[in-house]
Amino acid sequence: MSAVIEIEGLRKTFHSLRNGRRVAVDGFDLLVEEGQIHGFLGPNGSGKTTTLRALLGLVRADSGRMSVLGEPSPELLPRVAGRVGAIVESPQFFGNFTGYRTLRLLARAGGVPVSRVDEALELVGLRDRGDERVKGYSLGMKQRLAVASALLKDPRLLILDEPANGLDPAGIREMRDLMRSLAASGVTVLVSSHILGEIQLICDHVTIISRGRRVAAGRVDEVLAGHDRHEFLVRVAEPERAVELLHAAELTAVVDSDALVVNGVTDSTVISRVLGEQGLWVGELTPLRPDLESVFLELTGAGEDPSVPRQVDHAAPLPGAEGDPIDLDVRGVDA
Amino acid sequence: MNLVRAELERLSARRFVQLMVVLLVLAFGVTAATTLAGSHKPSADELASARAQATEARRGMEMAFQECLARQNGTLPPREPESYYPRDCSEIDPVRSERLPITADYLPGVFSFAEQARPLLYFLIAFLVLFGFLVGASYIGADLNSGGVVNLLLWRPRRLTVLGAKLGALLGSVLALSVLASLFYLATFWVIGQTAGLAGRLSGDFWRSLGAVHGRGMVLVLLASALGFAIATLGRHTSAALGAVAAYAVVWELGARLVLEIVDARRPDQLMLSSHIGAWLTGETRFWDSQLCADSRPGVYCESFYSLTWGPALLVLLVITGGLTAAAFVVFRRRDLI
Repeated sequence: MSAVIEIEGLRKTFHSLRNGRRVAVDGFDLLVEEGQIHGFLGPNGSGKTTTLRALLGLVRADSGRMSVLGEPSPELLPRVAGRVGAIVESPQFFGNFTGYRTLRLLARAGGVPVSRVDEALELVGLRDRGDERVKGYSLGMKQRLAVASALLKDPRLLILDEPANGLDPAGIREMRDLMRSLAASGVTVLVSSHILGEIQLICDHVTIISRGRRVAAGRVDEVLAGHDRHEFLVRVAEPERAVELLHAAELTAVVDSDALVVNGVTDSTVISRVLGEQGLWVGELTPLRPDLESVFLELTGAGEDPSVPRQVDHAAPLPGAEGDPIDLDVRGVDA
Repeated sequence: MNLVRAELERLSARRFVQLMVVLLVLAFGVTAATTLAGSHKPSADELASARAQATEARRGMEMAFQECLARQNGTLPPREPESYYPRDCSEIDPVRSERLPITADYLPGVFSFAEQARPLLYFLIAFLVLFGFLVGASYIGADLNSGGVVNLLLWRPRRLTVLGAKLGALLGSVLALSVLASLFYLATFWVIGQTAGLAGRLSGDFWRSLGAVHGRGMVLVLLASALGFAIATLGRHTSAALGAVAAYAVVWELGARLVLEIVDARRPDQLMLSSHIGAWLTGETRFWDSQLCADSRPGVYCESFYSLTWGPALLVLLVITGGLTAAAFVVFRRRDLI
């Protein structure tokens, strides 16, 4: 498969008189191949939006190499811009324009046939509301309009930053179906989102960013497998005795509420055999597979101590990072 | 071309632009209505009387000049009380006078197009300058602030092209509106002069002079629009342009002028942008300089005035506007758009 987006060693530092120097992206790598629905995850202020902005030529990278659809970005981005649909954060539209007029203006500016406007409105479910003014739209409708603006070009690559913002459950589902159908038609999708369940449902690949660096990347199932502790939930009549028996068999087990959690086991039949041989019959034996949320929280350290309010950019130290080289005093800005 | 067309549509759809156009129409309507209400077609008697008064006034000026010359030559018989005459009689020479009394001066309540066209045009140009500056600043300022420019750059990732299209659309629209508005404005007052007042002496010189003011006014409107656009681009906000102008007016035009006068600096007016705007618009502006005649011999007439003419004034205005516009393009090309 050919690479649709390639980022190598992207670094971006922001300077301001008030806040000084802030490294937003620090040697970040990203590879998105053709046909993927690629999830892009990271806590607030981790550098997701800065990465997307740099890729789309909206901020100047300090260093690194980027390409979009095979063309170096941002130098030759105009060559492929007609095939890249993107929304970065929530775009603002003129409130006194109708949805249709908003898209028509963009179509004109981008040299896209105006006939595409109706198709895009139809795709995002705004066909019957296209002649209403944008200022009357709900947040979810504005988000749909933003997605419609990205779809106007009939893109080969779709970059969506938080597309589910403001959408109701039905809207989220429609957005998921839309992304799937686009991917099925050959469109590569890069989607950043905080709704990890959604990413796990729709994405086949994922890249996780924390403190401006990539902390995980690959197929979703491979990333999850990499964090599988081979744990099983076991329900038996005598949990304490079961723990003793499993320890005697050199297995690690702890009582968790009214059940046991056994880890480090690749073959679950070992558990039932050890307990069954001693007359303890297993009532439930459930593998505890990691989900994207647990992997995300583990990698980014975002859920370390629930009793302490987490500050923006409070993330786990990066593997291999010496000390704390990154000043992440973002103060609420999603960089 | 598509980009410019799209920008033209965006510009014309802006509420602020529409509001300013409504204000322009209102100002125009009020001025025309009050002029019409306060003017009447002069009767033959009124005209005859005014003509006689104007002739008499011109004759009085000529007599005073001749008496001044006669006194200088010692041929004026002594009179009681003796009239005042300047040392240099050329000061009251009617030929050198900027303006001689005319019939319209003696027709109260009668609108004279030939007399009023120029001040009316100045008023319109002042409004259009304000219009261009505010629209130029808000057009890009609001777009930068709301993310509209980012949205557009996702479609056309060529920053200079996008900013250039915006500036082109702005200047083209402002110029078209200004030309149409000013021509309609002058035509309306010409009709009022013809039907409910006095047309006055509309010679070729008059139209050439009015045309020159009009042309210079249109250039000034374009410069103001570009200036508002450039400052708002540099400051990322509409308010940056408004703040910059307010700060300039208070700090430089008022504060620095006061300081320059206190330290008795030479020709402080030529350091003020307002002087150059005036010189450009009127063709030439004269300023008083106390030190200009400091070295002149006693008894020799010396004019303590110096002039700013339209040529150097235009150069100053072009350098400032061009410099700020170029800076805006350079900064916009390199800026992080967050």
